[in-house]
Amino acid sequence: MNPRRDSYLVFDQVTKRFDGLPVVENPFNLVVPRGQFVVFLGPSGCGKTTLMRMVAGLDEPSTGAIWLEGSRVGPPDERRGMVFQSYSSFPWLTVRQNVAFGMRYRRDLSSKAKAARAQHYLDLVGLADFAAAYPSRISGGMRQRVAIARTLAAGSEVLLMDEPFGALDAQRREQLQIELRRIQSEEMKTILFVTHDVEEAIFLADRIIVFSSRPARIVEDIDITAELGSERSIALRDSDIFFRRRADLLRTVRSILTVV
Amino acid sequence: MTGRLSSAFAFRGSLSRRARAAVALGSSSLVLLLWQIASWCDLLDPTFLPAPLDILDTLYTMTMRGEIIGNALISIARILAAFLLSAVMAIPIGMLMSSFRPVSAALEPIIDFIRYLPTPALIPISIIWFGVGEETKIFLLWLGTFFQLVLLVVDDANRVPHEYVEVARTLGARPYEILRDVIWRAMLPALVNNLRITLGWCWTYLILAEIVAADNGLGYVIWTARRYMKTDEVMAGVFVIGIIGLVTDQVMRALHAWLFHDQEAGR
Repeated sequence: MNPRRDSYLVFDQVTKRFDGLPVVENPFNLVVPRGQFVVFLGPSGCGKTTLMRMVAGLDEPSTGAIWLEGSRVGPPDERRGMVFQSYSSFPWLTVRQNVAFGMRYRRDLSSKAKAARAQHYLDLVGLADFAAAYPSRISGGMRQRVAIARTLAAGSEVLLMDEPFGALDAQRREQLQIELRRIQSEEMKTILFVTHDVEEAIFLADRIIVFSSRPARIVEDIDITAELGSERSIALRDSDIFFRRRADLLRTVRSILTVV
Repeated sequence: MTGRLSSAFAFRGSLSRRARAAVALGSSSLVLLLWQIASWCDLLDPTFLPAPLDILDTLYTMTMRGEIIGNALISIARILAAFLLSAVMAIPIGMLMSSFRPVSAALEPIIDFIRYLPTPALIPISIIWFGVGEETKIFLLWLGTFFQLVLLVVDDANRVPHEYVEVARTLGARPYEILRDVIWRAMLPALVNNLRITLGWCWTYLILAEIVAADNGLGYVIWTARRYMKTDEVMAGVFVIGIIGLVTDQVMRALHAWLFHDQEAGR
């Protein structure tokens, strides 16, 4: 079997240097099956964001390559959508226009089809009632939903999320985590999600990749779904098994930091 | 009452619209009143500084003689023509300079060089090139504003968060689409503000141009009155310019608020 051709998303011997400084030094290898929710967990500045940006095509690997469905990843396109922590929605467009912006450059859809898709994703993220509002008039959590809906409306198969809930308060964060899990299972999307929040990682992930500090190296590759199942609810969050998993992971993360 | 006062004077505190207007009007009136009283008490020589009421009186007779409105309209027309020319050139050039490194590398030295030349120093060359007609005035105004404005536009475009650009790229936008649909829209509020400020500078160069080479316009009116030591007429002309500036600025501010209140504080 040739993993490049037969797997969904493949990091093949990827390294990255910025101005001669290594960000990803040891050749990075990872195979992600379609529909998996993968969380990159690691200290700030360890290179996990750079790995994700390379999937988006916003940065290029210095050596090695990234493969998506058998073809080498090139410049950005709407198949791989990015959701940032801040400045994620355009302040000069209404919520509906923001979501529709995702399809602005798609010539294969009629304007009627675009409007229907926009409505579908507004409903999916629960923003139908706020369609006419401007981002300045809604909460930070809603603005992140706008960005998620826009990326989905664009037709992204891979969602790249760079600490998308990092600026939100605890309640909004939990609510959005539950919704993101629901959306992912409904839409069958593959998600790469960067965070340094251990609890968020366990709650969201099918699989957690724990990174060392820079230059990035995989410390642990954890199959969370095998341990916790794929159903995620608030009840799970309060369960003993979740607490034990969290304590374990916290120990791992602490050991990384003490090495530095 | 004391509570309201202390909240009004709180560091970066708030002030209601009405209170704001009242304070603004009050402070202006106070200055005028002190000035008028000083004139009544013969503390000011009217040859050098006439009283506000006398200036107002002169302004009225000048308006009746037909010296003000026509000349003011001519000056405003010159400013609008030159300012539009500056803006129409500076906005696209500035956006391209911000977006494409070779463009800024090519243009920056030229712009910086000309920007530091004092516009008055270029009056002789402009008269040699364009004579003393409208072209010279428009050219001088353009010279004074374009090179400043283009760098402000570059700054505005540079300040557009990179996230907006990257989001657009991952949605399949091409460079000119990013410029049109993202950079332009994101920078617009800051740009309108900078246009408002630059428009004010235009008046400096206008008076200069009209003093040197004109037989109409407010600058010409002021300069002619000076020749005959008619200080009240000079002051009346200056007063008209001030009022036009004040009104323009308030209109631009209102326009800004009306256009962009929806996206304020947005992220």
